[in-house]
Amino acid sequence: MEEIRKEIAAIEKSAKRLKELAHEMPGIKTNADIILTFVFLLKFVTPVAESKRA
Amino acid sequence: MKYWNPYTETLPPEQLDAIEFSYFKEYLAYAKTHSPMYREKLKDINVADIKTIEDVRKIPFTYKDELRAQQEKLPQNFPYGALLGVDITEVSAFRQTSGTTGKPVYVPESYESWQWRVEAWCHILWMAGFRPHHRVFLPVGYNVYVAFWECHYACEKVGCEVVPGGALDTKGRVNKIIEIKANAMGCTPTYGLNIAEEAVKMGIDPKTMGIERMICAGEPLPEATRKKLEETYGARVYDHIGGTEICGWAAMCEEQKGLHIIEPFFLIEILDRETLSKEVAEGEIGVVVITPLGRHSFPMVRFNTNDMVVKGKGGCACGRTSRKIMEVVGRADDLRKIRGVLFSPKTVEQFIREEFPEVVEFEIIVERKGIMDELTLRTELQPNIGKDKAEEIRGRVKERAKVKTNLTMNVTLEPEGTLPRYDLKAKRFKDLRGKA
Repeated sequence: MEEIRKEIAAIEKSAKRLKELAHEMPGIKTNADIILTFVFLLKFVTPVAESKRA
Repeated sequence: MKYWNPYTETLPPEQLDAIEFSYFKEYLAYAKTHSPMYREKLKDINVADIKTIEDVRKIPFTYKDELRAQQEKLPQNFPYGALLGVDITEVSAFRQTSGTTGKPVYVPESYESWQWRVEAWCHILWMAGFRPHHRVFLPVGYNVYVAFWECHYACEKVGCEVVPGGALDTKGRVNKIIEIKANAMGCTPTYGLNIAEEAVKMGIDPKTMGIERMICAGEPLPEATRKKLEETYGARVYDHIGGTEICGWAAMCEEQKGLHIIEPFFLIEILDRETLSKEVAEGEIGVVVITPLGRHSFPMVRFNTNDMVVKGKGGCACGRTSRKIMEVVGRADDLRKIRGVLFSPKTVEQFIREEFPEVVEFEIIVERKGIMDELTLRTELQPNIGKDKAEEIRGRVKERAKVKTNLTMNVTLEPEGTLPRYDLKAKRFKDLRGKA
């Protein structure tokens, strides 16, 4: 799972950079935003599991 | 592949607890800063003070009536008012509740929040065995109602081919299923039965229609109705539970014994009915309180669903470690006191579907006659049942109704096609007391 989390972090970094580069290009910027939506989901479904109960 | 997400679906329960608790705190902080309703409602709650699940119980519930009032505020956020959790320009889809219990609640979906809810629904479909070889027919005009939109998008995401079946009458839908060789379906249980009834009228045995798998939505699915659908179509039929405000949150796996909570998407509390302050034990009935942990466009903290469920045991032969609920008992709203007896319409549906295959449709009406409540069960039987046989069935229904509900009912036989048919949420119980 750690490898997967690293890849998600890399995608996030790259999508954010893409968004900056495409600041005035709605088509590219929107697609970068969509990637970031799925980054959010990927992070949500790969939580770090701690054994300590709340 | 057995699991949609093998990692989260097999985590030990105590780890799921810890993750959900951690998500809850993040979500609470988000709601307090982004939702006008929660900014006010939770102003005395400090996120840093929430250290245990017992602390969570100190946070006030959110009720549906409250949502109706809150959406009237802040005209700049029309029509969502103080319920909106993102900038209005981020809203990409409008949904609303069915309005069964009052004025509808309008629900804003941002692209992100919608995808979060679709992801939760992917678990529902995957557990129900929906796979890329399925061509899924959705025999409903989805309109602004969320469940079939969720089902549609989740079907696409898990790789199924989805066929929207709105703008057709029931006969047209039977023909479409056959024409395109659909092999799976998503519908309300009522409408699944209606389609089968229509097929029979057309001279088609529903078992030959090719439907091998069905996911039900929009209505409670008593076990007897689920089995009737399975027998009628020769298909595997699965249930799930959800709501417009809080998403689909539990679903049946291939074992078909209770419903798995979709973890860690939700913080689910099943609380005692009397005080709503303690988690009930396994096997007990409790009221479900839900916090969807990743929905930002419509923050919802401790939403009291009024749904009553039987809390299940952990563990399942399918290998999933998520907690389960064994049965949806009904909505607290649906329970009525009639002549001093607590009555649930679900009890009637259960025995009708289980014991009376001849009854194709029914409706329950309670009226006040003088000082007495009068209960009428209107039934519509299969065509071509003779008068004597129909009378005999009527007598047996009346007898079984008394045994099952402790209430005497007038049972009437209605001509074919008299009772309403529903393709979305059925309204078979009408309480006309107090309505002149």
